[in-house]
Amino acid sequence: MAAVAAEAAGLLERDSVLGELSDALAEAVARRGRFVLVAGEAGVGKSAAVRAFCAKARGSADVLWGGCDALFTPRPLGPFLDIAEEAGGELATAVNEGAPAVVAALLGLARPGSATIVVVEDVHWADEATLDVLRLLARKLEQAPLLVLATYRDDELDRVHPLRVLLGELATLPQAERLTVPSLSPEAVAELAGSAEVDAGELHRLTGGNPFFVTEVLASGNGTIPPTVTDAVLARAARLSGESRAVLDAVAIVPPEADLWLLEAIAGESMEGLDACLGSGMLRPERAGVAFRHELARLALEASVAPQRKLELHRAALGALGRPPGGAVDVARLAHHAEAAGDADAVLRYAPAAAERAEAVGAHREAAAHYARVLRFGERLSPAERAEFLERRSRACYITDDIDEAIDAVEDALELRRELGQRLEEGESLTWLSTILWCPGRTADSVRAARQAVALLETLPPGRELANAYVHQDWALAERALELAEELSDSELILRIRTIIATRDFANGSEKLEECLELAQAAGITDLAGDASTHLVSRALELHRYDLAARYVDSGLTYFSDRGLELYRFYLLGYRALIELDQGRWDNAAEAAAAVLRIRRASIMPRITGLVVLGLVRARRGDPGHRELLDEAWSLAEPTDELFRMGKTVAARAEVAWLAGDREAVAGITEYPLRLAQEREDRSVLGELGVWRRRAGNGAEVSGAAGPYAAELAGDWREAARQWTQVGCPYEAALALAQADEEKPLWQALTELQRLEARPAAAIVARKLRELGVRVPRGARASTRANAAALTPRELDVLRLLADGAGNATIAERLFLSSRTVEHHVSSILSKLGVRSRGAAVAEAGRLGLLQDP
Amino acid sequence: MQTYAILRRGAWRTPDELQAATARSIELGDKMPDDIRWIRSYVLAERDGELGTVCIYQASSPEAIRLHAYHAGLPVDEIIAVADTVLVRPDPEPVTA
Repeated sequence: MAAVAAEAAGLLERDSVLGELSDALAEAVARRGRFVLVAGEAGVGKSAAVRAFCAKARGSADVLWGGCDALFTPRPLGPFLDIAEEAGGELATAVNEGAPAVVAALLGLARPGSATIVVVEDVHWADEATLDVLRLLARKLEQAPLLVLATYRDDELDRVHPLRVLLGELATLPQAERLTVPSLSPEAVAELAGSAEVDAGELHRLTGGNPFFVTEVLASGNGTIPPTVTDAVLARAARLSGESRAVLDAVAIVPPEADLWLLEAIAGESMEGLDACLGSGMLRPERAGVAFRHELARLALEASVAPQRKLELHRAALGALGRPPGGAVDVARLAHHAEAAGDADAVLRYAPAAAERAEAVGAHREAAAHYARVLRFGERLSPAERAEFLERRSRACYITDDIDEAIDAVEDALELRRELGQRLEEGESLTWLSTILWCPGRTADSVRAARQAVALLETLPPGRELANAYVHQDWALAERALELAEELSDSELILRIRTIIATRDFANGSEKLEECLELAQAAGITDLAGDASTHLVSRALELHRYDLAARYVDSGLTYFSDRGLELYRFYLLGYRALIELDQGRWDNAAEAAAAVLRIRRASIMPRITGLVVLGLVRARRGDPGHRELLDEAWSLAEPTDELFRMGKTVAARAEVAWLAGDREAVAGITEYPLRLAQEREDRSVLGELGVWRRRAGNGAEVSGAAGPYAAELAGDWREAARQWTQVGCPYEAALALAQADEEKPLWQALTELQRLEARPAAAIVARKLRELGVRVPRGARASTRANAAALTPRELDVLRLLADGAGNATIAERLFLSSRTVEHHVSSILSKLGVRSRGAAVAEAGRLGLLQDP
Repeated sequence: MQTYAILRRGAWRTPDELQAATARSIELGDKMPDDIRWIRSYVLAERDGELGTVCIYQASSPEAIRLHAYHAGLPVDEIIAVADTVLVRPDPEPVTA
């Protein structure tokens, strides 16, 4: 079974093993026989590698195949019985006569000049007689062109295993060598996982890179332990004594590893079985204890321990961990065993402490899990305590972008606060609810919660809760909130409000927001650092300040990855895709967008961004598959009724309609969002949508746009293009130039669009040029893309001769063309380069780097 | 994987150039077996003796086709998704194997 699964894993990272086997075969044929021991843990793919090698060699070599069996009493000479059945002849009788006869028969099978491969699988299970055959065969290999391959599990040999003796003897023979088939690297596991929605790093950790486990988990695809894995693990455990199995049970319930003192406390007298567990390869020694070689095996065994026995083991672990020899207790482990032992008092004692410890080190996912644990035993808590833990859990879930859980928790808390008549806490929770409702796009609910919070808190004496509610309801109330916060001298709240003001007033300068981010990071207020960082990048992008945006995306990704703040990481990944798109690096943009889209989370904004970017890359290249992406983005953005989410999506849909020449669609798509942008004075969305309407010839009475959009709306395409070029947006610059009605800027636009492989936009510009009476070759030839001016190969030939000072006659002669054709090429070159004379053409070509050799 | 037709018009001047491109294409395609499967190509006789191709590929995305083309130094004029296949007769024998 292991072999089959490993074959499904392909032959990832097996090149070096296969190479060494090929070398050994060549050596066996050319000089003398070779004996290769192929070692590796169970399921690592020894058989798969040997099979692949034999399949390739089968054309030029005979392959004999036998395997040892995992019986308590194996068949004597079992593998050679298999081989005899296939090969017949002398061997069929030899297997009844003993090891020397079998060796003689095998040597007799070898024919000079051709190769024979003898494979014996799983020799860690070999009977004595089989080991004798291998020992004798190895010594006599000098006489015959045989390649003997013996596979075995090197993790299953205890110190007295009979195979060890053979290995020791073979080590001294020059014709013998040992190869180890290694576990897969994290990269190979990621490759195997492919597009499956799994965390490849986690999969590597679970499986230790064992291909059998990896492929089984991927095949089961539902997050549970595959039955095939459970069977394989339990079969291995079943070969051990009762004491050893008791040790395995004990180690299985104290992940990740069992310190020896702890194991002694839990397993007691069974400790004698530990050596056999290590010898069997299921456990491996660790720094201060032992652990399972594969986490997946641990999970399989843990699941197989009987419930009553499990309870006892957890109780014993809880007791022992509460009095560790080192002194300091590990609250996280205690909380785990307390719950498993069903000990409510212990859970309520340890889990809250464990959650706080986790939060302090930025392990928010773990903190959320500990709070959930507290709440499962919550019937012993007072309602106020329960509400408090619900609120804390909500915050931890929010930061890891488990938004649905976060909403459920705070809604439960709200109900408790209402019943208790705790109005201040109720108001605070309402503000919080308003924040998280926004993430999945429930804008209207979010606004309602914020209003309720303000209304409720205004009936109470003013405090930080009210200040917080003000800024959440409306950024325009930030000054009022700040005043309140300053009266209270609440420095954290002041920083939160200043961050919002700095975001709001970002157009006046980025320094204040950058400073808030720095202060939040220094103070360790991670959620505020997250808000500041995503606001900073998003506002920088609106103002086309790409350097600034890129700098904070890079630093933010490092900061948030290190601290498990997934929500903010996804935002920044989306923004990275957007930066790459705008800067004309479309391959990178598509890759970053695809990375965002592989993550399925509750917050919709990063997903919308990913869908829009990938959709635009495809649409701009004229590639299929853009429509469904933009449709999904719109289905997420539209219900939010928010320009922050709708703006880019609407602009992208308008662009697609424009590229398809559908002017009416551009008008329909942009009408409502543009009105909304005008109402809400969103200058960025306003400008972008206004420009699309103008390009499509729809009316665009837009006021208040800024930057390059304002220039283009005013009809100054030259200024718009200049600004786009200045901020490093080549596609946008080309589209601005494309608004011209003169030949030179249109050629410039066409050249740039062809360089970007923006086929649909290039076609639009080419059509416009033709309408001006300019001759544009139908469909620029592919090889012309190598040069910046869309010159054909023949035109380049002519241009190079021009640069050499050749006249028409000479060129015609050299290129076997008529003078008329040369004349025609020259005028085409002049028009493409936007110059009037041959001399100017040569100068311009030199500037564009067209004169280098092809 | 989705099936695509890829147009590469007038990309090569000689059969030798095309052959070199074919070799690079196969080499690169072998390195990304989960993303690209080249099925077949028809070589187009274009103006002035130039050659182009219509290639049928299976691919995980249009981006995978572009990435493959970029690394193999092949131009891409247009990628079109294939909605269905109608097989009437086997392909004619290739001129060169």
